[in-house]
Amino acid sequence: MTSDERDALIALISDPPRGSKLAAARDFGMDLSLFVSNLELTPTERARRLSATVSFFDSVRVIIRKDR
Amino acid sequence: MDLESAIRSLHREKVEAVLIGGAAMALQGSSLITSEMGFCYERSKHNVERLAQAVAPHRPRLRDASAGRPFRFDAQTIERGSNFKLATDLGDIDFLAEVPGLGFYDAVQRASVTMNINGIDCQVLSVAGLIKAKKAAGRPRDLYAIPELEALEELRKKTGLD
Repeated sequence: MTSDERDALIALISDPPRGSKLAAARDFGMDLSLFVSNLELTPTERARRLSATVSFFDSVRVIIRKDR
Repeated sequence: MDLESAIRSLHREKVEAVLIGGAAMALQGSSLITSEMGFCYERSKHNVERLAQAVAPHRPRLRDASAGRPFRFDAQTIERGSNFKLATDLGDIDFLAEVPGLGFYDAVQRASVTMNINGIDCQVLSVAGLIKAKKAAGRPRDLYAIPELEALEELRKKTGLD
């Protein structure tokens, strides 16, 4: 993502047009700024991040089960 | 979960399959987290054989089944069934013959885009395809994902980002 693309993205999510899907998602409770960090990653980085996040939650789940 | 290794294993055996569901959403830029990988696979005899070969080294067993129940994820088993929810050494993987709202592999493949994952070209269900599938599935967790996917689709159209 170039800096111009990033600026355009931030401008769009900072003030989504009324009636847009972006505005609807914001009103639904979504943090639109997450799009910036997600779209900055390559697909490979997104795959690795998903795997790492799920592994983290799995290890937390194991710890919680052990503590019960 | 080891999504990269799952993709590499399928690619190594030349399995025709499209990444779908939450893992596809994550690759498309979604923030929602899923604990399983999902693939829609092509049902020809050769592809089913390749799929069984690709998954075999990762000790596939049925999820939600009582432990110790005999199960072999081989070509014969795949041909007799259609959708499989597996636990493997790479994490939980769902293999579906059909995706709600889209249909069988050919339709799902047409609704997919190619993404390069660490040097491997992988078919990933598009954001528009994900929206159709989630709407058709209609479970609360699917419907919860729709506002984000629709916003993502709009964002991509307006910015050209992928």
